[in-house]
Amino acid sequence: MTMIRLARMTLPALLLAATGLSATEARAETRTDFKVAWSIYVGWMPWGHAAETGIVDRWADRYGLTIEVTQFNDYVESINQYTAGAYDAVTLTNMDALSIPAAGGVDTTAVIVGDFSAGNDAVILKDAESLEEIRGRSVNLVEYSVSHYLLARALESVDLSERDVSVVNTADPDMVGAFQTPGVTAMVTWNPMVAEIAALPDANIVFQSGQIPGEIIDLMAASTAALEENPDFGKALAGIWYETAALMVSDTPEGAAARAAMGAASGTDQAGFEAQLAATRLFDDPADAVAFVTSPDLAGTMDRVRGFLFDKGLLGPVAASADIVGIELPGGVILGDPGNVMLRFTDRFMRMAAEGAL
Amino acid sequence: MTALSISHLWKEYGDQIVLEDVSIDIGPRSFVALVGPSGCGKTTFLRLLLGQETPSRGRILIDGQPLPPEPGPDRGVVYQRYSVFPHLTVLGNVMLGPEMRASRFLGRRFGAARRALADEARAMLAEVGLAGSEQKYPAQLSGGMQQRLALAQALMMRPRVLLLDEPFGALDPGIRADIHALMRRLWNEVPMTVVMVTHDLREAFTLASRVVVFERPRDRPEERDRYGARLSRDIVIWPPRLAGRTTPYDTDRMPGRDDPTPDAAAAGTTRQAEGRTHASSPQP
Amino acid sequence: MRAINIRPGRGTALVLGLLPFAALAVAYLAGSALRLAENPSDKLLPALTTLAASIDLLAFTPDRRTGDYLLWADTAASLTRLAWGLGIAASLALVLGLLAGVLPVMRALLAPFVAFVSMVPPLALLPILFIVMGLGETSKIALIVIGITPILIRDLMLTATALPREMIVKAETLSASSWLIALRVVLPQVMPRLIDSLRLQIGPAFLFLIAAEAISSDAGLGYRIFLVRRYLAMEVIFPYVAWITLLAVLLDLALSSLRRRMFPWAEVGR
Repeated sequence: MTMIRLARMTLPALLLAATGLSATEARAETRTDFKVAWSIYVGWMPWGHAAETGIVDRWADRYGLTIEVTQFNDYVESINQYTAGAYDAVTLTNMDALSIPAAGGVDTTAVIVGDFSAGNDAVILKDAESLEEIRGRSVNLVEYSVSHYLLARALESVDLSERDVSVVNTADPDMVGAFQTPGVTAMVTWNPMVAEIAALPDANIVFQSGQIPGEIIDLMAASTAALEENPDFGKALAGIWYETAALMVSDTPEGAAARAAMGAASGTDQAGFEAQLAATRLFDDPADAVAFVTSPDLAGTMDRVRGFLFDKGLLGPVAASADIVGIELPGGVILGDPGNVMLRFTDRFMRMAAEGAL
Repeated sequence: MTALSISHLWKEYGDQIVLEDVSIDIGPRSFVALVGPSGCGKTTFLRLLLGQETPSRGRILIDGQPLPPEPGPDRGVVYQRYSVFPHLTVLGNVMLGPEMRASRFLGRRFGAARRALADEARAMLAEVGLAGSEQKYPAQLSGGMQQRLALAQALMMRPRVLLLDEPFGALDPGIRADIHALMRRLWNEVPMTVVMVTHDLREAFTLASRVVVFERPRDRPEERDRYGARLSRDIVIWPPRLAGRTTPYDTDRMPGRDDPTPDAAAAGTTRQAEGRTHASSPQP
Repeated sequence: MRAINIRPGRGTALVLGLLPFAALAVAYLAGSALRLAENPSDKLLPALTTLAASIDLLAFTPDRRTGDYLLWADTAASLTRLAWGLGIAASLALVLGLLAGVLPVMRALLAPFVAFVSMVPPLALLPILFIVMGLGETSKIALIVIGITPILIRDLMLTATALPREMIVKAETLSASSWLIALRVVLPQVMPRLIDSLRLQIGPAFLFLIAAEAISSDAGLGYRIFLVRRYLAMEVIFPYVAWITLLAVLLDLALSSLRRRMFPWAEVGR
């Protein structure tokens, strides 16, 4: 199974490479066909719901586009497919956007800042009340993921470092089962697993993403090249997002139905989904998102994130410093190498939504 | 005393009757050849004597005792194929029986006991004309040599009865003549009764003291299942062949020398000469 | 002349044998060059220099964080698991396969169950294994054992029952007990087959090992591949895949030569 997945990832890439075609070159000048990948997570469920209920098609038609939305069971796989050029946009976190496509030379723009985690990610200890007791334990988490980042931030907060614990890479679908085995005493993971594990009698949440607000950001990011070819793609994405998000938070029967549908699609129910939503700072109002992305705090966050990634060797094994990949922020501020800007935050499309200009 | 006494023996497989009411007494040290058309149950009869199969009705006595229900060391056997063990050397094959009889847990002997057994085994191999091949594996031997090895392996156990299931059927004529000479010599020297299944009448009359013919009295296709084979003839060779003696008619012509192992043939012939010295003693 | 009668000479056969390898190398280099020309930071098909630098980093430079040489530490962890898995599987298969092959009662007891169990897809059992045995070494070794033992048992059982009946009867006439027949007649004759079956199971064993390491681990060849997969580090994945392949080939050759040296008689009859 896993081998097939690996083959699926590399073979199309090899074929593309061998014929000298890339996904972008193969298309005509003004592109109208775009492909979007997304995976199951509370902050990204609106994309699936929008595709199912025809919201995607409506906005695509409005700009004369065809947008194909594909759901991935595997988050990393969806990012890898995007990085390999098979998709034009993908849902991912700010950290993964920097470490995978941007570090891989795929110029990526964060079209929409959808939400940030405010409790969806958590450090959980077994039979222990305080974070300090994590010292000396082995911690199960998905290495190099936002969980790993959260652990680093958690350890920092109590003057510990990663040297004080040992990290065991564990696949996210197995987290809930793993926590119930005697050998596992510390874990970092995200929802819906956090909710499941927290419900176990001996589990205690000792640190969660609400304590580092705004640092784990969920994005809809598109390839900068695709946006340049046809900026309408970005507008359509913004239109889809804010229409669906408004529906999602509305206190109407339609809103409740949408939340129930998204809950079902993510393997829980309306109540479970609403609980996850409560641990998420969702930007359903574009003005809030513009304010978030233009605030000077974002530069600090991204600086911490790139420092973490560099420390883990994720900006490339031969990277000399965290500056190797340039990050452009709204207002023209650039972190790192201005000659190698590969990740861009912009308020362009969200501002259009806020101004009703879509 | 009777070596083997078979009375009213029946063998059926489900509805099919293979052997029907077979009775025969086989005297000690006789050499009985079982002949008959293929499918007449002579191999089944041999398997019954071996204990590899059990009779449906009737009984078999060996020296007055009922035959044990499974094969044992008192009855040796040589088949046409698969009689020797491919994973053991020639010497290992011959030593295997005594080793297993003496060592019931490991099936191996060590030290002085092993050396004594190896000497005994080498002597036996020389007896059957396999001196010099001790360290070879069976697959490196010719068909004739493999059958000599199988005989040596069986004789190491000093069986009271030696059962032969078409042992020489796959051999070339020249090699067969050599091994016939060996076989007759062994029968003369080793105190045992021999029962041999063969489809070769000439072989039967060359070697045996008594030739027994199996036949189905009713052999039409629709009768085959319901009627088994019986003994149709029982021919005692005249003048009588007795183990340890030779008749004037037994003077073997010198066999063709196309056996690829000249030492094997030589072993057969030398012993033949010794056997002839008995011919000078008067016949009973 | 008919195509079926055209036989390559030694030199031609060598060239033909190398051709697919050369074609793969050329395809890789061409693809890599094309992609890198378009995007110098492309990660899918790294250039040879990047691969060499990465191999140097993995195999000959201590890791910044732990001070370990990653490739060797991973190899040691994986091969230890593999050795345990293959060893336990082979021993179990030998005992149960012999029992079922020699004793009809044990065959009646075991054969249907083994046939049933051998159809269970082992990877589907993985979540259960992790719960029952924890995330440590036990469950990884258990996955290998569960994955390959039933096939080994069936193979040995078939080999044992396929021995000619004559041979077993002959052993009985040589005074062998059931135990001695198993020990001195059947066991030595199924051993070469056990080694051949093990050789065929090296591939599946690696598959199960890597699958287990991908789910939860802190070292190992599969662990590293699935870890760096997060950031598409093909410059790590390609060398690791090549190394795993090489290890499997070496293991196969080692078992093959072990078989030749331990059971020379099995070669004579070939």
